[in-house]
Amino acid sequence: MTDKELTTHKKQELTGNELTRPGRTYVPDVDIYETTDSLWLRADMPGVEEQSIEINVKDGVLSIEGQVEVKDYENLMPVYTEYNVGNYSRRFTLANTIDADRIRARMQNGVLELELPKAEQAKPRRIAISAQ
Amino acid sequence: MALIRFAPHFNPIEALLSLQQELDRAFASPLQGFDLGLSGRGVFPPTNVFSDQEGEVVRMEVPGVAPETLAIESQGRTLTISGKRETSPPEGASFHRHERGSGEFSRSLQLSADLDLTKAEATCKHGMLTVRIPKKEEAKPRQIEIKAA
Repeated sequence: MTDKELTTHKKQELTGNELTRPGRTYVPDVDIYETTDSLWLRADMPGVEEQSIEINVKDGVLSIEGQVEVKDYENLMPVYTEYNVGNYSRRFTLANTIDADRIRARMQNGVLELELPKAEQAKPRRIAISAQ
Repeated sequence: MALIRFAPHFNPIEALLSLQQELDRAFASPLQGFDLGLSGRGVFPPTNVFSDQEGEVVRMEVPGVAPETLAIESQGRTLTISGKRETSPPEGASFHRHERGSGEFSRSLQLSADLDLTKAEATCKHGMLTVRIPKKEEAKPRQIEIKAA
């Protein structure tokens, strides 16, 4: 194998605020990074289809939820298992520097990608120094 | 262990609950005598193996892996899945949080001799890889007729 071999960790179950729906919910792994214009979020949600994603921003809290597709499992018998299957849910508190109206989302290969554009006043500005 | 069965009228909430319960039961089951072969738990991608009348179904969670970069090979009774996961941000970006691992992976599973790996079929969608391996003809259940004496 090359320099870096991928390992995996146990899915983290969502605890704390209990949901009204029964069943287990997992916390998706996320990457969050910042570019000049936006904050970007990528979340691993394998088994979730595009139309089963819900993204909400309310009172400065971004919540992402994904319902996992389970139809394909009918009439199978588990013989060896390493992971359980469940819905995904996670919340983030946003700084008020995000322009919530312009948030964009897309889903590719089981990864949700969100672009959270920075509000105009939060973008870096170069301040010119005037010569005397 | 039992078959995963959903109520006659598909209800997503109930279906997920019964699936989670069946998988839980499988975690706890002493029947875990499944021969993994070369790699064990904790190796990417997380893997579940199921069986049905037709054969076995291997399901792996591969979010962020483009299907065209996956290589699936079989040799004898061994099934090998390898690929690469990229999670690097665009140039000039700075990370606030970095929980998603990246790198290459390769994972081999030793399958039962009853299975016909030459007829295996794979699909990959929404970050889930499914490999279906049918049983060999002679291993399939067969009705035996009773002849009148």
